[in-house]
Amino acid sequence: METKPLQGGERSDPFAEVNAPEFLARLLAGGRESQRTFGWLVKVTHDRFLAFARRSLSSLEESREVVQEMYLAVHKGLPKFEGKSKLTTWMYSLLHHKICDCIAEKERSREEMVESHEAQLSTETNVDSWQPLTAWDAPADRVLVRASLETKISEAVSALPVAAREVYHLRDVEGLSGDEAAEALGLSSANVRVQLHRARRLIVEHVQESLRSDVIPGKATR
Amino acid sequence: MSLFYALYYPCDKVRDFAYDYLEGKLGLLTGFRFKRHLRGCEECQEYIKLYRMAADPSKFTFENPLPSEFLDHTLQFLKERGVVGDG
Repeated sequence: METKPLQGGERSDPFAEVNAPEFLARLLAGGRESQRTFGWLVKVTHDRFLAFARRSLSSLEESREVVQEMYLAVHKGLPKFEGKSKLTTWMYSLLHHKICDCIAEKERSREEMVESHEAQLSTETNVDSWQPLTAWDAPADRVLVRASLETKISEAVSALPVAAREVYHLRDVEGLSGDEAAEALGLSSANVRVQLHRARRLIVEHVQESLRSDVIPGKATR
Repeated sequence: MSLFYALYYPCDKVRDFAYDYLEGKLGLLTGFRFKRHLRGCEECQEYIKLYRMAADPSKFTFENPLPSEFLDHTLQFLKERGVVGDG
């Protein structure tokens, strides 16, 4: 990573540094200074935001695209950002909306494809030519099976409903406070608490079920 | 409320309180019932152990490392739009 834009950067967590008021001032300074500071912002936050997007979207390519769109939205919205929340919390909020837009767009496309295929099937007799409507592009880590508890938990997290998964990622993985996660996701703090408990409960149940199926193959029951 | 219920929580109740237990937010009486149940129930002990692991995922890696070229691609994307400069 290149030279940090702030002098005396004793803060060990890059997120803490980008949330400092002086960092925001440098982002808003204009000119090359702003560009350089924004570049550093991208370098130190990119992978964490990409990891968050990756939890909600099955495709790494889509995750990258929503993260790029999020950075554009940050750049565009910075002059109006009042600093009432942390910069990173606001960025999570923008990313959350981009992810929702992407999921909605995929749903629309899927519905259109289903309608198109149904229309096609109604006029064709050869159904053997049918192809899957969506590409199977699951990450490689889903294919690799390791019989460790950590892997089972990881699999359980991937299987969480999107809302619970987002809350789990922000609270337990990223360590945001309940209020910060609530603001980023547009939820109440009480809802964040409920979703987090739900996520952990589903993870435990998934792991327990997986452990039972290891003992008695094919006997996993819910 | 029966005396039995007053002193012993069923498993479902204990699991409902797992969140508050980890947050240290169980009240005195609730905490007493919770721990009393936990001492005598191996299944709930296992459940709480897994719940604690789920709540602290920092000790293990979830995913394969992200491709490093993705950052370069994003920087190039933003550079082309004048958001970031050279270097």
